[in-house]
Amino acid sequence: MKPRTLEIFSIVFAWIAGLILVSAVLVLLGYLFIKGYTSLNLSLIFGDTPPLRALLFRTRVFDGLFPAIAGTLVLVILSIVLAIPIGISTGIYLAEYAGSRIKRALDAFFDVLSGIPSIVIGLFGFSFAVFLHKQYSNRIGPCLLISSIALSLLVLPYIIRTTQAALEGIPSNIRMTALALGATRLQNVFLVLIPRSLSGIMSGIILAIGRCAEDTAVIMLTGAVASAGVPRSVFAQFEALPFYIYYISSQYSDPEELMRGYGASIILLLLCALLFAVAYGIRKGLSHFVFYRP
Amino acid sequence: MSQSQTMTEAIKIRVENLFFSYRNRLILKDVNVNFAENAITALTGPSGVGKSTFLMTLNRLWENVSDADMSGAVEIKLQGRFRDVYAPAMPVTELRKMVAMVFQAPNPLPMSIHKNIAFPLKLAGERNRKLIEHKVEHALRMANLWDEVKDRLNDDARSLSGGQQQRLCIARALTLEPEVLLLDEPTSSLDQASMAAIEELLVGLKDRLTILLVSHYLEQVSRISDHIVTFDDSTVVS
Amino acid sequence: MKKIGERVAERAFFLSALASSLITVAILVFMVFMGLPLMREGGFYQLLVKPWAPYQGAFGIYPMIVGTACISLLGLAVAFPLSLGCSFLITTIAPKPVSRVFRRLIELMTGIPTVIYGFVGIFLLVPFVRELFQDGSGMCVLTAALVLGIMITPTMTLFFCDSFARIPRSYLDAADALGASPVQKLLYVILPSARKGLLNGVILALGRAVGDTLVALMLAGNSVRVPESVLEPARTLTAHIALVIAADYESPEFRSIFSCGVVLYLFTLVVTFLARYLSFAENKKA
Repeated sequence: MKPRTLEIFSIVFAWIAGLILVSAVLVLLGYLFIKGYTSLNLSLIFGDTPPLRALLFRTRVFDGLFPAIAGTLVLVILSIVLAIPIGISTGIYLAEYAGSRIKRALDAFFDVLSGIPSIVIGLFGFSFAVFLHKQYSNRIGPCLLISSIALSLLVLPYIIRTTQAALEGIPSNIRMTALALGATRLQNVFLVLIPRSLSGIMSGIILAIGRCAEDTAVIMLTGAVASAGVPRSVFAQFEALPFYIYYISSQYSDPEELMRGYGASIILLLLCALLFAVAYGIRKGLSHFVFYRP
Repeated sequence: MSQSQTMTEAIKIRVENLFFSYRNRLILKDVNVNFAENAITALTGPSGVGKSTFLMTLNRLWENVSDADMSGAVEIKLQGRFRDVYAPAMPVTELRKMVAMVFQAPNPLPMSIHKNIAFPLKLAGERNRKLIEHKVEHALRMANLWDEVKDRLNDDARSLSGGQQQRLCIARALTLEPEVLLLDEPTSSLDQASMAAIEELLVGLKDRLTILLVSHYLEQVSRISDHIVTFDDSTVVS
Repeated sequence: MKKIGERVAERAFFLSALASSLITVAILVFMVFMGLPLMREGGFYQLLVKPWAPYQGAFGIYPMIVGTACISLLGLAVAFPLSLGCSFLITTIAPKPVSRVFRRLIELMTGIPTVIYGFVGIFLLVPFVRELFQDGSGMCVLTAALVLGIMITPTMTLFFCDSFARIPRSYLDAADALGASPVQKLLYVILPSARKGLLNGVILALGRAVGDTLVALMLAGNSVRVPESVLEPARTLTAHIALVIAADYESPEFRSIFSCGVVLYLFTLVVTFLARYLSFAENKKA
């Protein structure tokens, strides 16, 4: 092919690709918002139940998103609480204490873990629940706790990786400063290194939060159901926003339910967008603070 | 070692009131200098004073860098006429085919020797294979490299020694027969023998090109240069 | 002399790391364990090539393997040119302001939940495909592959852009000094040098495509027959797991999903190590 033709073709090709992608996104978002904006009001969330009674858990909401939103909230908090200590500790170990051979081996493990499809993680959660059911107590089955454990497995690699990268990104002169003044390794980690890596670690956590909020495959195997009310205990089944959307898409019985599906999608999108903005703000804000960029 | 142009020599490059700043720091201040045609002019001066930057104002390579800004006039006599290098009518890709540059560290492209030399021809859209081969050989001969590589033109260019790689880069710069050759400390990463080879090469080329050479080696400068331009304190002092 | 606190902390860090890595193995172990009865009875290999017909006692997952392969590969075929083109646009072809906005948009896209792609796909694309081809319900390999392709494009695009950015500066300077235009530099210097990075990106995207559950579950129709054309419905390994989970614990049907899990896990292993090898080789070169 003549060089000039190839070049022109590439330019045209690139613009077409960009156009296709942008249109796809705009169509997706546009369709959702146009179809769903009418559903955005309080009754979307609370149904026929008065909001105050619902918020105080006096009355159960049957035709609103409140239980799903509450479920997602509790789920995310629980999962993150489980994942953060182990994730950050592992990240610290990898960055500060591990020898290079161990590091490479562990690195391989976490690469595999991060690549495992979410449904397989869900399957593991489910098997684990079955195992507990048979071995320990008939009352244990797929539930909020199991889902949280499984979700925390899903997002563990994010937290490990970002913690490790943030710590390893600290220049060596800063790394050495406290040590030269007589601090122990642990003191160095907690007093100098972690505070410096905070923005990176926070980004990882925000990423993990987003992932927990949007995941459907894991929770559909480990305790999410279409109707369960606000979660009463960690051993109970629960509702969640993404699962609700999935369920509605195949099982809606009237236009109202479908509209709730659209509303739920919009809320989920806004939630993810918010998390994204927060993560971006943290990255910019904290790095501004740390490096005093004008 | 003359320090100024004689009135009878033709001028190839005219620089007037050149100011260059990077990130709001002034690197070059009010540079006014002319360069003679078909001669080797050495640019000397303390390290960091802006000689390399100055070279880049001649082929507009600084435009890829953000936060850099320049004012002033640069005119080069190309194809018989003086052309404003910064005029909108002068496409930068065309300029660089006429004003070639060789860098301090040799930078062969990750391809065979032949493909490296032929690369500028490919950019120019040349497809005649015989013509390409002819020009590749011609460029390699001009760079005194032909005999050493003629049997291994398809070897990866990075397999050559440092000195050979630099001569490769010079050959590559000569493929399209430019009128000006800019060299930024071309021998500083090379050994004595390679240095000598390149100096000899440059002297042989000056009949056909105008050569500007940034160099720290005072003996080299005195050996091969016809003129010297000294930089100090962000401007030209002689 | 390390204080007790130090030692405890170090021990704690190490145990966390150990636990995290062992979980990775535990996942595989659990699945093999749970699926063993069926795998032993039917032979693991047999399961992979037999069709799924539970009423006839056949619990092979072959149709699901084909379904996964078709949808993922087709999705990749959609995503690769789009990603390549968009990465060209961002790194070279679009003017700076446009490219910045575009990149931001693509970064945002990576945050869109999968279930929403599925949801919009059901109500927008499925009827469209149905009308366009007048064949079938609209829930088929093609629909799922199209949505899957769009979904993995942003991640792959960003990966490609990062690969392009890692080309050594010396090559770029050489090209610039020789008078290459930005497009020429991209096509003749950057692209050839980034080959390994591109391959790496494709492999990782393939891993993601194979691991996707919702798009296939919601859009591909979930039939248990091997699809004969892209307009026919199909079921993926991932969707199969989601659909059969409701069956009785002890039944062989149920245990078949663990075979799916094992296949998926093994595939993940292959993809991961291939990608690691490629990026190791690429880094060695630089």
